[in-house]
Amino acid sequence: MKKVIWKKSLALLTIGAMLLFAAACSSDLKNPASGNKAPKPSESAGAGKTGSAGDSEKYRIYLISMDQMDQHWVNMDKGAKKAVEALGNVDYKWTAPDVKDDAKQIECINNAVADGADAILLAANGPDAAVSSLKEAESAGVKIVYVDSPANLPAVKTFCTDNKAAGATAAKQLLAALKDKGVTSGKIGIIGVNAATQSTVDRESGFRSAFEGSDFELLETQYSDGDAAKSKDVATNYIAQGCVGIFGTNEGSTVGTGNAIKEAGGEAIGVGFDKSDTILGLIRDGSLLCVMAQNPDKMGSEGIKAAVAALDGSDKGDGSTVDTGVTVLKKDNI
Amino acid sequence: MERTQKRNPLHRILAIRGMGQVITVTIGLVVLCVVFGILNPSFFSGRNVGNLLRQVAPILIIGIGQSFVLITGNIDLSIGSVVGMSCMLSATMMANGVNPWVATFITLTCCLVIGIVNGELVARCKLPPFIATLGTMTIARGIAQIANNNYNTDSIGEAAEGFRNFFYYGRFLGLYNTIWIAAVLWLVGNFLLSRTRTGRHIYAIGSNPEAARLSGVNINSTTIKVYLVSAFCSCVVGMIICATSGMGTMDAGNGYEMFAVAASVIGGVSTLGGQGILPGTVIGAFIWGVLQNGLQFAGAPVAIRNIIIGIIVVVSVLLDVVLRGSRPRHFFRKSRPASGAEGKSTPA
Repeated sequence: MKKVIWKKSLALLTIGAMLLFAAACSSDLKNPASGNKAPKPSESAGAGKTGSAGDSEKYRIYLISMDQMDQHWVNMDKGAKKAVEALGNVDYKWTAPDVKDDAKQIECINNAVADGADAILLAANGPDAAVSSLKEAESAGVKIVYVDSPANLPAVKTFCTDNKAAGATAAKQLLAALKDKGVTSGKIGIIGVNAATQSTVDRESGFRSAFEGSDFELLETQYSDGDAAKSKDVATNYIAQGCVGIFGTNEGSTVGTGNAIKEAGGEAIGVGFDKSDTILGLIRDGSLLCVMAQNPDKMGSEGIKAAVAALDGSDKGDGSTVDTGVTVLKKDNI
Repeated sequence: MERTQKRNPLHRILAIRGMGQVITVTIGLVVLCVVFGILNPSFFSGRNVGNLLRQVAPILIIGIGQSFVLITGNIDLSIGSVVGMSCMLSATMMANGVNPWVATFITLTCCLVIGIVNGELVARCKLPPFIATLGTMTIARGIAQIANNNYNTDSIGEAAEGFRNFFYYGRFLGLYNTIWIAAVLWLVGNFLLSRTRTGRHIYAIGSNPEAARLSGVNINSTTIKVYLVSAFCSCVVGMIICATSGMGTMDAGNGYEMFAVAASVIGGVSTLGGQGILPGTVIGAFIWGVLQNGLQFAGAPVAIRNIIIGIIVVVSVLLDVVLRGSRPRHFFRKSRPASGAEGKSTPA
């Protein structure tokens, strides 16, 4: 008899515990921010009244890029670190998925929030994928600043290259070079990264719009996931189709374009984006006409400054977009 | 065996196990080529044919490796990561001034170690191959990332010009070196599978591991051998990618293990083991490569390409199942020897 009572009370206890757990979970679901922030009362108070908590503590700011491979992000990190050193009151971390991937980037955002981030500098992999987790972060009091690629949610500020304008600049460079060569018509190939990366899609549309009204035929964009070897195959195919110009929309596709043109002996003119050791080599030996170099260091440093200004209340930010510009790198200025 | 050799050569070729599927997909390949040629005549230009062959070569090479593993009834998921690892290790060394051939040798050694680990885990430790190679897949990708401190490498430099020509840009007898490398690997692989004792053991293990063990086949060493072949092929493809770009990229080879499965399976290699021949893998790789190249020439969006490739994979396997289900195992042979003791493990 005693045993039965013992068992019954154990069962009751278990059920009670499960109910409690379920209640805790559902309240978490309703307000995930409070769940994440609960262990750090000082910070959640700080989030409520902007600026009051930051005087004694350092601001924790995360940079979340699309990956950590491209030189582009490395330079952004360098710029951010410079601003962090100058400001002195920032605890800065750089994190990113191992490959460009929406789901993995969302995890990075969630982890940063869970780690008690005060602000996040985000280079969004796609415009929409991260929106709901960003909303959660925002309701937890995290300030969001976009660098390089914004998402579809208003933030403190956005520091990025005006990719449409930069794409148009690339097109103008290509047009001028073709004109010098005496070519006024022909096919032009475009190598994209994928259809969901806003920055390269904008570069492409800027590039296409600059060609409107000309006699050139712009072929269907081919996507190569930014992979240099795949891009080389795509560019080689373009040249075999008789393209007179090829446009690479990011680092990998530009390297592929340069290598294909180098092999074909310069039949087509290549323009591209981003700066790396390999790309500079391809410009030097004439395989590429020029690349649009962004200023990721400026994005990083300005991003950190804007985040801190928003945190200490000196400039809450108006959601505006600041163009950090491009530098045209040619044989004569590198 | 005696009986088939007395027949005329055509009959002998048709009697090879798995030839039925190869013939079916070859017809499919020809149809594809004709369609693309009509859509854009420059598809058949000499220049594009050269490019196309070179674009197919890496898929063929990893396809050979995966076919070896699939025929034993196992799978190698680490192929793509070993490609990336090979690319990054060799590029990092070359970018830091190591002699390209020394770098190649060291990289090859590292990749073969992965192959041995795969083989040991599957054969001796009896891990399911899916899990074992999933583990090494992640490890190899990690090595690729750590090789240059989680960055893509700089240019591998002027000193590596010979390396780049050997693996990608150079030509021999009018064809790109990459094509020759693939052709040599294919011939060697074909010889190993169809003319040597190891080859027969590979089929035997895939058909019936227990029977193979009882008849004295060393399952462990044969399994390690096929994983070594697979790692070697992946290593070569990594070098080709490194030579193509002139730099190391950490996500090189991403997803290649599945390209390799697709090339093998389209060509009639059974994922259940014991069945398939390398001529099929060639056709499978070509179908893959022709679609990539031809759809660009036709100006089709990439999404269409993925859908078409997916459909072809499913249909070709379905075809194989239907053909094998409706008739005795040998599609082109009128009758089978009653004993079956001789037939199952030998390809020819």
